[in-house]
Amino acid sequence: MSPGLADRLSRALVGCHPRRWRERYGEEMLDVLDQHHLTARTVASLAASALSSHVDPAYRTERLSLSRSRLRRAVVISAAVAAGLVLAFGMLGFAAWRERWQLSGAGGVGGVAFAPGRHLLVSAVGGANQDSMDTVWDLTDPARPRQLAAFQGGEPTALSPDGRIVATVSFGGEPVLWNVAAPRRPARTAIMSAGGTAPLWGEAFSPGGQILAVAYTDQIFLWDVASAARPRLLGTLAAPVTTVGDASFTPQDITFSPDGRMLASVTGTGYVTVWNVTDPARAARIATLTSLRDYVQTIAFSPRGLLAAITYHGTVLVFSLADPARPALTATISGIMTHALYPDGLLQHPDAPPCPSCSPANYTVAFTPDGRTLTVVVARQEGNVTSAYSIAARDTVFTWNATSSGAVSGLTTVTRDVNDSQPTLAPNGRTVADGSPTSNAVYLWTPP
Amino acid sequence: MHGKFDDLGRFADPSLLILTSLSDGPKHGYAIMTDIADFSGVRMEPGTLYGALSRLERRGWVRPLAIAGRRRPYQITAAGQEILAEQVTTMQQIVRVARLRTAMAWGA
Repeated sequence: MSPGLADRLSRALVGCHPRRWRERYGEEMLDVLDQHHLTARTVASLAASALSSHVDPAYRTERLSLSRSRLRRAVVISAAVAAGLVLAFGMLGFAAWRERWQLSGAGGVGGVAFAPGRHLLVSAVGGANQDSMDTVWDLTDPARPRQLAAFQGGEPTALSPDGRIVATVSFGGEPVLWNVAAPRRPARTAIMSAGGTAPLWGEAFSPGGQILAVAYTDQIFLWDVASAARPRLLGTLAAPVTTVGDASFTPQDITFSPDGRMLASVTGTGYVTVWNVTDPARAARIATLTSLRDYVQTIAFSPRGLLAAITYHGTVLVFSLADPARPALTATISGIMTHALYPDGLLQHPDAPPCPSCSPANYTVAFTPDGRTLTVVVARQEGNVTSAYSIAARDTVFTWNATSSGAVSGLTTVTRDVNDSQPTLAPNGRTVADGSPTSNAVYLWTPP
Repeated sequence: MHGKFDDLGRFADPSLLILTSLSDGPKHGYAIMTDIADFSGVRMEPGTLYGALSRLERRGWVRPLAIAGRRRPYQITAAGQEILAEQVTTMQQIVRVARLRTAMAWGA
């Protein structure tokens, strides 16, 4: 039985339990299914549970009485109804759970990347495992994600805006281009081995898809990838490598501005470096941004000349790049972590063992395409967890109104409990994709 | 947890495994499943788990705690601990007899 079918059948079978049973156990059982490796055995156990709960006096529906013949008839009816529901829902999917889909392979979701133009997504299953699969999804109808190409290409880091080229990192640590324009025949078109010997940590396509920035710990290479078969090196940028403070923490992020004129990277220092890449062959550093007191962890450009940064401890910084040579800090929002606490003011999930050295959170940040809304997702993990407590996380989505001058106001928050979460914001700046390293699923959800 | 211990699930009573799992502290559904797999090798499926949990709850041997997110931890009750102790005594007796008789059959 395929994992996808086992998943759909299992979820449909939870719905086949009596109403009172579902009210009492339904939600927590779905939570268990989210974490469990679902097989035919799971489906069988749930079918047995659904049937036995229907004949259990404590949960039996009102229409049944104690008479034996009617009981027998009820069992037959329940079985028929359950079988019918299983068939129906197994084929159609269950509307309530459509936001989630299962990826092929095993080992957990390693990475999620959206293409800016089309609603496409690359997800790695298995991380550094050689069996991992990279999958491209068409999200034109978000309720029915369609799988396009699937291939063993290493860790995927970027998807071209037209969804045709995937940039990955090979198992040998080299940047590789895959042509996925023909989903049935994904083809490796180039290995860009001209890079340095330092570790490669990220890749980003320019908004037009012509340029691929390949970021190593000591420098950034700019490649012309207009021809995916013959990438051409345009230039290199020296990235600052000075490590400040805790050397084990090296935040890394790289992104082009929506107009393609600027490239910003966060490197081991936790500082943001902004480059002018209008002419990639003569790219030059134009500014260095810093919070002075904290590491920047992740960044996002707005289409209206702003750059937002989130620091390790959850401070949101907004810079105006109206004059790129003189960036101005226009907003500092601290204390958002106090909104992202678990009940009773706990910093981590009540089930989790203490973990003083754990990162406080995973962050993702984006502006909406009109630049008027800034969204930050704070994903709190349970911490350094054991298998028995493996997965629980809480996403808190913060949104502010942003003016073109860089002022932010009008905070709203939405909280949601999720599986072990590595959130990524979609190009619409609103939809959150949660890829869980501990299950082969990506959840897409949009706060109200 | 694949393979040779799977059949053990048919012999080991799910209720006994759950009570054993809860005897060192409250756990939610998935934590119970992974704990049982860890200490016994039995891969208990969610349908079996919740069927047994609801029976244990009705008999007053486990009690549900306040739900945290989508997870509800379960706690063993004093009555549950008593019944577990009784079961373990019975099983020790069975183990003792089984050891004796298999030893005899092997001619030790």
